[in-house]
Amino acid sequence: MLYNIRLHLHYDYARSAAAGRHHVRVMPQTLPGVQRVIASSLSFDPVSAERSEFIDFFSNSVTSIVYRNPHETLDVNMTARVNVMRPPVMLDVSPDIAGLRKEIRSVWSIAADAPHHFLASSKYAAIDPDITAYAALSLTSTRTVTEAVSDLNRRIHADFKYDGAATDVRTNARQAFDLKAGVCQDFSHVMIAGLRGLGIPAGYVSGFLRTIPAPGKERLEGADAMHAWVRAWCGREAGWLEFDPTNNMAASNDHITIGCGRDYADVSPIVGVLKTSGSQEGKQSVDVIPLE
Amino acid sequence: MMSQVNKTKAPVIPSLLAGYKPLPGIADEMIDPAGAVRPGWETLLHALDEIGPEKLATRFARANQYLLDAGVFYRIYDETGTQERQWPLAHIPLLINQEDWDTITAGLTQRADLLEDIVSDIYGEGKLVRDGVLPPDLIASNPEFLHPVAGIKPASGRFLHFCAFELGRAPNGQWWVLGDRTQAPSGAGFALENRVATTRALSDISASMNVHRLAGFFKDFRDSMQSLVTDPQARAAILTPGPNNETYFEHAYIARYLGFMLLEGDDLTVAKGRVMVRTVSGLKPVDVLWRRMDGAYMDPLELKSDSWIGTPGMVGALRRRSVSLVNAIGSGILETRALLAFLPAISKALHERDLALPSIATWWCGQEKERKHVMDRFDQMMVGPALSTRLPFEDEQATVLGSNLDPEARSELLARLQNDGRGLVGQEAVKLSTTPVYVDGKLEPRPFVLRVFAARHKDGWSFMPGGFARVGFTLDTAAIAMQRGGQAADVWITSKGPVAKDTLLPREDDVFQRNVPGTLPARAAENLLWMGRYIERAEGTARILRACHARFAEAPNQELPLLTEMRAYLKPLGVDLDQAVPKGLQRSIDGAMLSAGRIRDRFSPDGWLALHDLSKTVHRFSDVVSPGDDTTRAMTIILRKLAGFSGLVHENMYRFTGWRFLEIGRRIERGIQMASMLARLARHDAAEGSLEMLLEIGDSVMTHRRQYSVYSGRISILDLLALDPLNPRSIIFQLDALKTEFSLLPTREMGRNKPAGMQMFSKDVLRLHTQLAISEPHELTPETLHKVAYDIGALADAISETYFA
Repeated sequence: MLYNIRLHLHYDYARSAAAGRHHVRVMPQTLPGVQRVIASSLSFDPVSAERSEFIDFFSNSVTSIVYRNPHETLDVNMTARVNVMRPPVMLDVSPDIAGLRKEIRSVWSIAADAPHHFLASSKYAAIDPDITAYAALSLTSTRTVTEAVSDLNRRIHADFKYDGAATDVRTNARQAFDLKAGVCQDFSHVMIAGLRGLGIPAGYVSGFLRTIPAPGKERLEGADAMHAWVRAWCGREAGWLEFDPTNNMAASNDHITIGCGRDYADVSPIVGVLKTSGSQEGKQSVDVIPLE
Repeated sequence: MMSQVNKTKAPVIPSLLAGYKPLPGIADEMIDPAGAVRPGWETLLHALDEIGPEKLATRFARANQYLLDAGVFYRIYDETGTQERQWPLAHIPLLINQEDWDTITAGLTQRADLLEDIVSDIYGEGKLVRDGVLPPDLIASNPEFLHPVAGIKPASGRFLHFCAFELGRAPNGQWWVLGDRTQAPSGAGFALENRVATTRALSDISASMNVHRLAGFFKDFRDSMQSLVTDPQARAAILTPGPNNETYFEHAYIARYLGFMLLEGDDLTVAKGRVMVRTVSGLKPVDVLWRRMDGAYMDPLELKSDSWIGTPGMVGALRRRSVSLVNAIGSGILETRALLAFLPAISKALHERDLALPSIATWWCGQEKERKHVMDRFDQMMVGPALSTRLPFEDEQATVLGSNLDPEARSELLARLQNDGRGLVGQEAVKLSTTPVYVDGKLEPRPFVLRVFAARHKDGWSFMPGGFARVGFTLDTAAIAMQRGGQAADVWITSKGPVAKDTLLPREDDVFQRNVPGTLPARAAENLLWMGRYIERAEGTARILRACHARFAEAPNQELPLLTEMRAYLKPLGVDLDQAVPKGLQRSIDGAMLSAGRIRDRFSPDGWLALHDLSKTVHRFSDVVSPGDDTTRAMTIILRKLAGFSGLVHENMYRFTGWRFLEIGRRIERGIQMASMLARLARHDAAEGSLEMLLEIGDSVMTHRRQYSVYSGRISILDLLALDPLNPRSIIFQLDALKTEFSLLPTREMGRNKPAGMQMFSKDVLRLHTQLAISEPHELTPETLHKVAYDIGALADAISETYFA
């Protein structure tokens, strides 16, 4: 599936920011077997005093920008043409949960995609006894790890209310779990915390989702949003599988990946240290336009 | 004569030995298993005996006084917050003979090299995990594994440059490593202070015993840090978390001792991938940082986002390999307790040899066999978190001794071991050897741990020939930690022959080099300026209080109009005239202390002591002094102490840029105060007695009498206190001084479009000075004087905008 993607982030500072330093993670990357980036561009307004790129530990592409002069707003514009070609869903070759534990132990690696990095608590997705107990229900009716993950994916979608007003970007898994509500970020964090509680390595994927307009309706400009879903390590054979608890589905060719990490903190679209005494407000608009 | 007898007629049992009983089953440093005094100790004991208990008490008091005078303290944390405590010196040094020391340093050299290879593999290739030598969980889930720095090669090529090791001695006499300190080891400066203090008490003894000196170690380390500086324009510096850190004293002390800048995260900024320090002369590059804060706090952008003490962009600079850190960020992972269990195997795998110096026996319970061993010998085990970086006996909340547990806790922990062994390690319960401490005229054995310091130089490692021994107050090993009331002892490595006499001072044949000035960090300059202002404000306030209370005393029951006037004058300064020692005065002195505390490295111990004494005096007076005469006397004492402090600053402080900021602060404050006071008290309609009061506060009674004996009055006083360029209290004198100091400040460009030239504030002070110089006394109306005060205040703003922003 071929897409044109446009992302616009806009920040307003209540008081002028004297200086700032940001890391921006918004560029989709070529991921062999998942997607290929044909062209992409990223620009900032005002133009930054310094700009450089690097690849972080989890292989995400990061743009680092520095401002030295006062500014009241910041605009980030990203455009990309991406071809998504995920492989068809494989036969379930994952072990049961006891088998998974053994398989994790047999992976002698600390490379970025090794399961070990995704087992411990992280800032937004801490292991929590209540979330673990909730997740454990998915083990009773299933045989394999993939089935268990898929079941938890379904249950979160069923039990949690999608509500953009219930949470914000700082909400963690436990808070969202208590609210039983939130957005894609919260659904993902709850699922990650639950999986880790069961000993299943789980990470956070950030990206875009193509939204399909209701029949007879036009696609609305800028109406799409940044999206987040979950990846779980389902054994040596199955490897990392991606699930979208917000939409109760496995990641499909409608999911365009920016990057992955242990939770939102590793892949926030923009993190920064800003010299300003006031608050800031952000807006985003996203267009995912299919070209086929 | 006595010593002659002792030497020839051995063995005479030193009286200090009476009643000294090593504990059964535990090694003692002074007494060997057969009950004989070990070599070296005998000499020490006889020497102590000869001095005798009374003189010894005097000598030990001298050592304590030194520590007090030098301002050596450490911080403790409890429910009531943090407090500074006097340094608890155990006066008897720990003796280690040359052979033992050589064994220790040979073992630690090997260990330090091993640790370097481990950390470089963990953040690099990952071979140890790939080859199955090191379990991946110990790294990937480890909070000390800092993902953002994985893959970054240190600019210096090395992760470790300065390490410390905690050692203990087993009952069989073998030295053990209890823990490795690679994050940001502290204690080297304290070790140095212990040495200086102990030498105050026992210099004659140490001289006769061929005790190795410590200075050579610091000199080598300074040189090797300097050798990592690659750009001739760049500098090496020490990075501290700030004055609230428990070992801040040491940071300041070492910075002063080695002659490095002491910086906080905020002093630094990263520009074009380079770490720069904000100085009063602009941004200057820094090539080497000896960091005294945990790695995770170094960069809020990529590491702990809530760190307030870091420098955004630091990791980016590391990625560009433009700065060397001592030690590299991420090195803290080597302190992980569970790692001790794998060192023997790693040493075999990487270096094909066994550890020369064993670690405390450690088993990671994530392995079947090891877990079983720990559970089988549960009573002899200390069990604690696998990823803890604390020493087992400093971690009483999380680490427990199996035999100490009640049945319930016991079965709970055993169950945890069974289910989640991966999170736990067992360590053999250590029986640390004992060393003597001096208690009430007697020696008693106490357990200790020895901290040994290693610094990298270009060909390997050098060791501080001495160290830092932490000695328990009781026989309980758990009470060794300083936070729980342990003591610190000097460590004497005794050589058979004479030792090298290194000092940090250059030798005659060293190339003479004068350091370039102009490296004053902006934050330090700001603190110096404020200290100057606070001290001057305190002086001004004390003068007014003295003058007022003298009048109270003369007319206790009358409300003089002059005093009403003064009450109104003092109120906006936060000073309540009805209190003998008003809060406002205390605040000024506290403010000076606070500013001084943030620049301890630039402060002589004498200056610090004088300020400390001043602060103590003011706070003591505030409880006991009553208004009137009593206050007059109290203020006289405070003024004398203030003069003492100012004298120290004036006579002893080198005229570097920092002094100028201090001086500017004083002059600005004095100028403002004099102008505002004249505006009030030199009015036509001022209250009766105002003029006398002015002269008194302006310390100019005698001068005035001498110069204006014929005609005296309002005009002559205005002339003397505002316009006389020879009166150090006059406004114009302050402006004169400011003019000079301003012209000597480093030039800064104010923004891109303004040409470099005379600084704006230099023009302002010149204008103000000229205006006043051509004024006649009668032209100085209250309005004019208020304007002058305001304009002087504006100078302070201009300085701060130019240099501190």
